[in-house]
Amino acid sequence: MLTKKQNLLETIKGGSPDRFVNQYEFMDVAVFLPGFKYPLAPGQTVKDDWGITFTFPEDQIGAFPIHDDAHKVLKDITQWREQVKAPSLDFKDEEWAPAMEQASNVNREEQFLAAGQMPGIFEMTHHLMGMEDALMALYEEPEEMHGLIALLKDYELRRAEQIIDRLHPDALFHHDDWGGQSSTFLSPDMYADFFLEPYKEIYKFWKDNGVELIVHHSDSYAATYVPLMIEMGIDIWQGAMSTNNIPALIEQYGKQITFMGGLDSGAIDFPEWKPEICAEHVRKACQSCGKHYFIPCLTQGLGFSSFPGVYDEVSKQIDIISKEMY
Amino acid sequence: MSKIDDVKANVEKGKTKIVPGLVQEALDEGGNPVEILDAMVSAMGIVGDKFSANEIFVPEMLIAAKAMAKGVDVLKPLLAGEGGASLGTCVIGTVQGDLHDIGKNLVAMMIESAGFTMVDLGVDVSAEKFIDAVKTNENVKLVACSGLLTTTMPALKETVKTLKGSGLNGFKVLVGGAPVTAQMAEEIGADGYAPDAGSAAIKAKELVAAA
Repeated sequence: MLTKKQNLLETIKGGSPDRFVNQYEFMDVAVFLPGFKYPLAPGQTVKDDWGITFTFPEDQIGAFPIHDDAHKVLKDITQWREQVKAPSLDFKDEEWAPAMEQASNVNREEQFLAAGQMPGIFEMTHHLMGMEDALMALYEEPEEMHGLIALLKDYELRRAEQIIDRLHPDALFHHDDWGGQSSTFLSPDMYADFFLEPYKEIYKFWKDNGVELIVHHSDSYAATYVPLMIEMGIDIWQGAMSTNNIPALIEQYGKQITFMGGLDSGAIDFPEWKPEICAEHVRKACQSCGKHYFIPCLTQGLGFSSFPGVYDEVSKQIDIISKEMY
Repeated sequence: MSKIDDVKANVEKGKTKIVPGLVQEALDEGGNPVEILDAMVSAMGIVGDKFSANEIFVPEMLIAAKAMAKGVDVLKPLLAGEGGASLGTCVIGTVQGDLHDIGKNLVAMMIESAGFTMVDLGVDVSAEKFIDAVKTNENVKLVACSGLLTTTMPALKETVKTLKGSGLNGFKVLVGGAPVTAQMAEEIGADGYAPDAGSAAIKAKELVAAA
């Protein structure tokens, strides 16, 4: 039996996996790295080091940045140099300690240690100023947006340098949602104009410094970005929704990128979830996508579900279908 | 190309900086304010169609709506005496328990661009707040309810049920949001469903015209 790591590599290289890669099993993601501040439970409100305030309302399944006049960090894109200040990266040893302990406990023969980077650059632009302002600024003040994006990229690279120095990760789990259920937010051309080069630089930096595997999360439609993802250096697109026609993407691009998802969280992970629903979706996804360049996984970022039991049930169903298909 | 055609073409392209000047030029040349407004509404119809067809994306739609709004600002003092030609009032909101506003805001922009007067209740709106808005605003012809989360679909159903069972009349209920389907819209008793902002504006006009 292959290790989780070997099985992953066989799957993404078109080799001989002996079962489906089961969701996030192949990597241990270090999320709680210095500089990551985000509300994790209902009722919490957190201001991060950029000054962005996030709130996790009691009756919700996630947190939102607040963009009223009192909380919006960037009120005028032409003033970003004055209004946006990259936070200090002068972290103390004790701030690194929990992540370093997590890293030391990972069996690197069995699993990848993945550094978590969240949010991504596109998300940062709209966290700072609100989605509508951010999207319109791409049209109205493109040079200012290029400047802001360069600042965000440079911050990510400087933080990456520290993470690599401390943890020596062999994978990266990078979050940046690029679309909704049926479309990307930006046209591929506009996306390429603003974000392709920064991401190429970021992902090259990680790969030049010991990271073997770039996993990018966008739980959305993004089929039209796949050529850009490949050019950026992404190895695995996590969050690929079924709306992307994953079998067709595998057919066209599978030798260059692996698709991790196919199990839309919205359709599976809800209060009235049932094992039968999990089983039906897992079976359909695995049978239609096949054994190579595909990892069955809930589309949600990171290995958990919003409602207790769903993630584990999906994992159980993947094991069942593995026994049938391998 | 006439000046009014010029206005239309530049609203469609989202030229926010030049549309107000073009509207003024069209007026200076004797253009009728209502005709100029109609041209901008028509431009936004084209924008909506292209969005529905994935030919353009959210930024293009936002920027076109902003260009139109700037053009309307020039026309407003002149339209006040012309009756405004509003298709009626549309109350819009994201249902209780759901804080997503981007899709709802796009729909509001497109329905406003189609000629409705908008009352935007924001996000996390209870069924009672929708009812209050119908009661307290004049000429409400449409209530548009949005929900993005599968977990808030029961709230969407409850909102439609409450609106339909309120005894109030004269308005139609339009629903939309990622998990919503035409079949679900019918099952919960909504009058109409739209999968995206462009088609929401078309559906809004259809529903009101058929009333």
